[in-house]
Amino acid sequence: MLRKLLLMLVMLALVSAFVVRGQDEPQYAGLDMDLSGITIRMANIGGGQYEVMYDAIAVFEEATGATVEIVALLDGFAIDQKLKVDFATGAADYDVAWDHTSFVAQYTPFLLPLQDYFSEDELAPFSPAILDAATIGGNLYLIPRHADISPIHYRKDLYEDEAIAAAYMDATGEALTVPTDLEQIDRQARFFVENGHSSLGYTLAGKEEALTGRFYEMHFASGGSLFDENYQPSFNDDIGVAVAELLAGWYADGIIPSDTTSLLWDGVAQYFCNNDVAIKLEWYGWYAYFQDADSCAVAGNFGLARGFTGLSVGGDAVRPSGWAGAHAFSVPATAPNPQAGVQLIKFLSSERVAYEEALLGFLPTRGDVWDRIITDAADAENPLDRERLELARIQVGEDFKTPPLIAEWIPFSNIFYPHLQAIILGDVGAQEGLDAAAEETREMMADAGYY
Amino acid sequence: MAADSNSPLGQGAATRPVEVSRIEAGFFPYSLILPAAILILLVVGFPLLYSLYVSFTPYELLKPNSLNFTTARALRNYQKLLNDDIFWRSLLNTIVFLAVTVNVSYVISMALSQLLSRVTVGQSVLRTLLMVPMMFAPILVGMQFRWFFNANVGLVNNFLISVGLIQEQGQIAWLVDVPLGMITIIIASIWMNIPVMTIILLAGTLSLPTETFEAAEVDGASGWQKFRFITFPLLAPFSYIALTIMSLDIARAFDIVRIMTDGGPARRTEMLWTYITRLAIEDTKFGLGSAMSWITVFLSVLFTLYFFRQLVKARIVR
Repeated sequence: MLRKLLLMLVMLALVSAFVVRGQDEPQYAGLDMDLSGITIRMANIGGGQYEVMYDAIAVFEEATGATVEIVALLDGFAIDQKLKVDFATGAADYDVAWDHTSFVAQYTPFLLPLQDYFSEDELAPFSPAILDAATIGGNLYLIPRHADISPIHYRKDLYEDEAIAAAYMDATGEALTVPTDLEQIDRQARFFVENGHSSLGYTLAGKEEALTGRFYEMHFASGGSLFDENYQPSFNDDIGVAVAELLAGWYADGIIPSDTTSLLWDGVAQYFCNNDVAIKLEWYGWYAYFQDADSCAVAGNFGLARGFTGLSVGGDAVRPSGWAGAHAFSVPATAPNPQAGVQLIKFLSSERVAYEEALLGFLPTRGDVWDRIITDAADAENPLDRERLELARIQVGEDFKTPPLIAEWIPFSNIFYPHLQAIILGDVGAQEGLDAAAEETREMMADAGYY
Repeated sequence: MAADSNSPLGQGAATRPVEVSRIEAGFFPYSLILPAAILILLVVGFPLLYSLYVSFTPYELLKPNSLNFTTARALRNYQKLLNDDIFWRSLLNTIVFLAVTVNVSYVISMALSQLLSRVTVGQSVLRTLLMVPMMFAPILVGMQFRWFFNANVGLVNNFLISVGLIQEQGQIAWLVDVPLGMITIIIASIWMNIPVMTIILLAGTLSLPTETFEAAEVDGASGWQKFRFITFPLLAPFSYIALTIMSLDIARAFDIVRIMTDGGPARRTEMLWTYITRLAIEDTKFGLGSAMSWITVFLSVLFTLYFFRQLVKARIVR
């Protein structure tokens, strides 16, 4: 009798555990509508790991009866061009389109506001900061897919060497700790280079939107703003000049590479990968690459820290850096089946699909997925795997900051970055260069009808 | 009265079919090219005229309402460009790039064509090797040279370090410094354009009459004299054709520049077409971009007309 009772208790425990575990599995969403006979067309970003997510679409098709037709899978630049042309010509005959927090402002006249299609409960798991960035004029225009933001990357060997720490103390009178503000970064980067500990002190992308964004980030962290409340350029203020002079000084003194103004993301990452850079801001997305010992000399020799605060010229207004962006989904205003498109977006941004994508290394935008991947990483062989996720969650949650949400962001960037390059290269002074950029920007904004 | 063949009526009746057939015969060739002409008008003529119209409007792709022609704003894009320092800088850069690339390519191609015309063994192998650069898309040539001249991992800097000409800390920023940025683009462009020019000049050299050279030899002319006073003048039509084709091609320089420097840094290597791309494609300012394209086309037409006049003169002299 006792044996039977024990057996029943064990079975009951096993069944309970199974049920609890079943409920604990991440769930799909968007499967609660019969879409038989409907073809949902989607134009999205493609290439590499971006496309792994689309394998899950078969589950959606089977559950809803819909057919999903992918009409375009293009890289970021090409899909942006396609969307612009299709929107302008009224040819956006698809129900789901790629979007990005940095680009959404220019698309808004051609997108369907989504707030009426999603309940509060459905939106609750997403990062409020990202949803704020996706809401323009009170309308929600995109549902985020995954995000990225930059922490400080630093070479551990430089900070764990007692002789270097002692020399730094002698030279500056302060302890050598992982930097938290730009002035500390400046002092340490210069010390490492001048004393031969590292061939480069810092690196940053030096052209196109990448350079504009990094300047924006440093300016913002120092308490500045690219535009004032009337959309007048304000980047040529004292803070902007101080940031531009810092960059020019770094270039002149060999703290950053001599080909900085030719570098985009891959070139910048390569310098750090080679173990040639002491400190830098870098996107979390490069983590797996840097940890690959077959590819990178820096593998196992770097740590991560929250983005720096800016220059003290900003006074009390300094704050952590956090230039960030999120890939996302939108519904074009001309979509033939908007409700079906929304259902597909609910599915693709569901906890289950987002979790599967996060396992590839992308930073999620949902709190429930953050919980899961951080729990998963608790037993990771490399403690940095877990620290990275915990830090990234803080940054995405608290520091996420998009560029100004104006349709002219890219045209502004195309005006601004050549002037900043000229300052960095020493062709013009910081104030003169920024004033010239401000003048051109003012003309562009006036043409666009801002004033 | 029966009508005879000499009567006016009789003559008219006899000649009308002939006139009709002449008209038909005259129309026939035009009817043959009509489909092609219509097609060209549709795919080339209409877009050209449309872009001319757009150039007089403030059209921006994502602002469909901006495609409105108003007399007051019609010339605004052109005025803006003529007052735009970047436009003039990109024009100057394009002219420098064009002049150096075309002239250096011409000198090298002329030398190569003269050497190749005298090769008796392995000529086909040499000609095939010469064609290799033509087999690469310009975008690949740009990527290849960008990595050659990369400051960090580039072939050129690593070679200079290995032979001790520069220090590891003093890597040369080939794609950044003035005038190295422009020079590297010119080198890449010359490498890509030499084959076409050489083939044209080689074809011209091989077609020259041998009697003239035999007569010169009898008169005791040296090799240089034969080249200076016979080969070079007789090759003038080929030279002008080669120079015209290459000039128009090189003036459209985009792929290589886009990949190697993208017009930068700080607009140091900005060319007309990279600037047009920035305005029209990246900034979606189609009106401004079209205006700049038309200015560029206008300059190219003037340039082509000049070269063709020189070509005609050279043929008359020959």
